[in-house]
Amino acid sequence: MGEIGKILQYHFNIFGYSITVNVETIIMSWIIMAFLMIISLILYRTVSLVPNALQNLLEPLIEGFDNLIKDTLETDDRKFYALITALFIFLFLCNIIGIIPGCEEPTKDLNTPLGYGIMGFIIAHYSGIRVKGLKKYLLEYLQPFFIMAPLNLIGELAKIVSISFRLFGNIMGGSIIILVVSHLVHNLILPPFLYAFFGLFDGTIQAFVFAMLTLVYITLQVKE
Amino acid sequence: MHVSLIAASQYFSAGLCMGLGAIGAGVGEGFIAGSAAKGISRQPAMAGEILKMMLIGQAVTETPSIFALVISILLIFKSYSGSGVIEFSALISAGFCMGAGAVGCGVGCGFPGAAACEAISRNPRISNKIMRIMLIGQAVSQSTSIYAMVVALVLLFVIK
Repeated sequence: MGEIGKILQYHFNIFGYSITVNVETIIMSWIIMAFLMIISLILYRTVSLVPNALQNLLEPLIEGFDNLIKDTLETDDRKFYALITALFIFLFLCNIIGIIPGCEEPTKDLNTPLGYGIMGFIIAHYSGIRVKGLKKYLLEYLQPFFIMAPLNLIGELAKIVSISFRLFGNIMGGSIIILVVSHLVHNLILPPFLYAFFGLFDGTIQAFVFAMLTLVYITLQVKE
Repeated sequence: MHVSLIAASQYFSAGLCMGLGAIGAGVGEGFIAGSAAKGISRQPAMAGEILKMMLIGQAVTETPSIFALVISILLIFKSYSGSGVIEFSALISAGFCMGAGAVGCGVGCGFPGAAACEAISRNPRISNKIMRIMLIGQAVSQSTSIYAMVVALVLLFVIK
């Protein structure tokens, strides 16, 4: 029980820089990436007009996200489509992989959600600057009053904190709760239900909320 | 005597944290479920959509209480070193901070969820837009509970 907050890390030195690696996070992320790439290759080879089983399973998901993004951005331009759908699929798999014994969710480590939060922030603002031009983008920070500039700035940074910590808190919290309650009931009866609620249900919803909020932040910047 | 002071403050603040943290989500999720029932009575054909919206809204409203549960569990099951008034007050205030911070956000996130369930029954065609605005509204109203969790985590992990 004393090892709840601890993370396995490797430290090594390259060219005089000391690098710290969170082992389980990185290995799990690679496994999920490899799985997604293999599935994509299989689908790419066998895609057809009459869908086979795997294609049938994924088409509602793809169509659903297509409609969602088209409704939100109100454009037929599919520029952000790949980003948002890939983010959802990857985070969804990250959150539910905890069900497999021995596997840990990569999103349990603060680095993963924070990384994707910062990525979403940079993409949103870069797209905003490209669409609106630098001057109009900077002028928006002075709306509605001149004085509001620091508050607007803090609000933007707070979006990164909130989106990352929401995902991190839910997933890490869920895994800690599962660990502690399973220990308390000596692993009888209760753990599968905990995994179903915190792993499957909560994990899916948080992945969806993360992807949706990234889309919303991009929309807010891109659509004036 | 000093070591047990820290242990005492740990357990005290763990209870405070989860006790206060359970208030907000209970009220908020109740609002959402009540409005879902009203929405289904107005538009029985949309029962599936309303159920989906209710579950998503309730899951997002649950988040501040999950944060409070995490801080409580960290308080109960981790051993804290140090002795003296600083660690004592840091542990107690960490629990109180997260617990009180989860109250308002839990209640506040219930309002958009409740309104969304009723809005779908009035205008089923735009359910995507309604879900979007509900999620944005809930995400922004949850911000302060996230700040509370950040402060509580800093308080817990700065004293080693």
